[in-house]
Amino acid sequence: MSDDHGDDQSIAQRVTAIESLLVEKGLITSDVVDAVVETYERDVGPLNGAKVVARAWVDGAFRERLLDDGTQAIGELGFGGAEGEHLVVLENTPDVHNVVVCTLCSCYPWPVLGLPPRWYKSFAYRSRMVREPRAVLAEFGTTLGDDVEVRVWDSSADVRYMVLPLRPGGADGLAEDELVPLVTRDHMIGVVR
Amino acid sequence: MGGMHGFGPVVRDPSERALDEQPFHEPWEARTFGLVVATSAKGLRTGSTRPAIERIEPATYLASSYYARWARGVEAALVAGGSLTSAEIDLRAAMVEAGPTRSRSTDRELVAAIAAFLDGPTRTSGEEVAAAFDVGDRVTVRRMAPDGHHRCPRYVRGATGTIERINGGWPHPDADTPEAVYRVRFDMRDLWGDDAEPGSLYIDLWERYLS
Repeated sequence: MSDDHGDDQSIAQRVTAIESLLVEKGLITSDVVDAVVETYERDVGPLNGAKVVARAWVDGAFRERLLDDGTQAIGELGFGGAEGEHLVVLENTPDVHNVVVCTLCSCYPWPVLGLPPRWYKSFAYRSRMVREPRAVLAEFGTTLGDDVEVRVWDSSADVRYMVLPLRPGGADGLAEDELVPLVTRDHMIGVVR
Repeated sequence: MGGMHGFGPVVRDPSERALDEQPFHEPWEARTFGLVVATSAKGLRTGSTRPAIERIEPATYLASSYYARWARGVEAALVAGGSLTSAEIDLRAAMVEAGPTRSRSTDRELVAAIAAFLDGPTRTSGEEVAAAFDVGDRVTVRRMAPDGHHRCPRYVRGATGTIERINGGWPHPDADTPEAVYRVRFDMRDLWGDDAEPGSLYIDLWERYLS
């Protein structure tokens, strides 16, 4: 079944109606709704997470703090907030690959990755990643050898997870700000290695 | 959703790889998201929208897009909270052009508070609470069929795993006082049988779910 749907036009009208009524009754102001939207359209997205990863790749002491208490270490870079109050960073190693899903809905570490992409919220991803992770990873072009242990993390409570990917080979001479663009959201969810 | 069959491959738009992809794809999706946060900050609805989303009739849930489910959830929570009635929403939706779309007034204080809430370092959450289980303990997830909002997916019920970490204490969604939440590791075979892919599944579970 597709996640697409026929009722978005009527839903859009109902959302407009709800906002219109709340404004008319003086219960909310438009600038507050705007500020929430702009936070994720402008300020908070996966670039934050990429900066965290790049720092961990060049600074061993930061990497240790990051793995010990993700929330606090990520706060050192100025990042944190809603849906990131208890961040746990999962380290990929040559022997271990981590991948994150939320089968209940869409739990996701907003302060470091922004809001989740559509596929993360899709029924296909939510239903299958916990049961056949290697098959789903292969659909993302990620094929793992039998010697790599796959660890699937279903975020079901208050902890939010982010993957610390392996530093790519050949990136040894690069500075921190040159490493940032090598990190994608897919790496930090764990659907690519 | 965990473990259900029949949803096919994970379909991904090529644009969804970019670090700067826009989080909303329709204006109403953005307004829905903004309203969920803003109405919570203003105390206009009771609790989370999750219970309301989970009360959507299953066939409708599966036929609705993600933000359509959020929109249904925030509407139900606003009605339950007494801020709006379904009748007035019906009426306004039929003639949305009749109502205001933007407020004349602003609320800079709340804008600043929300900015700090969404985008600023926080202390690590989780209270110190008594924990009945220790790291290394083998635990079995209780069999149950709860009605309403919970955080124990069906696919782990009845399965036995190992406590890997005591995350801390948080209130269960229907409680006010913190309760121990554990990271439990399951061997994939203990969830899906002998044909399972090798590997481990980690999930955080409240103490009440475990025995």
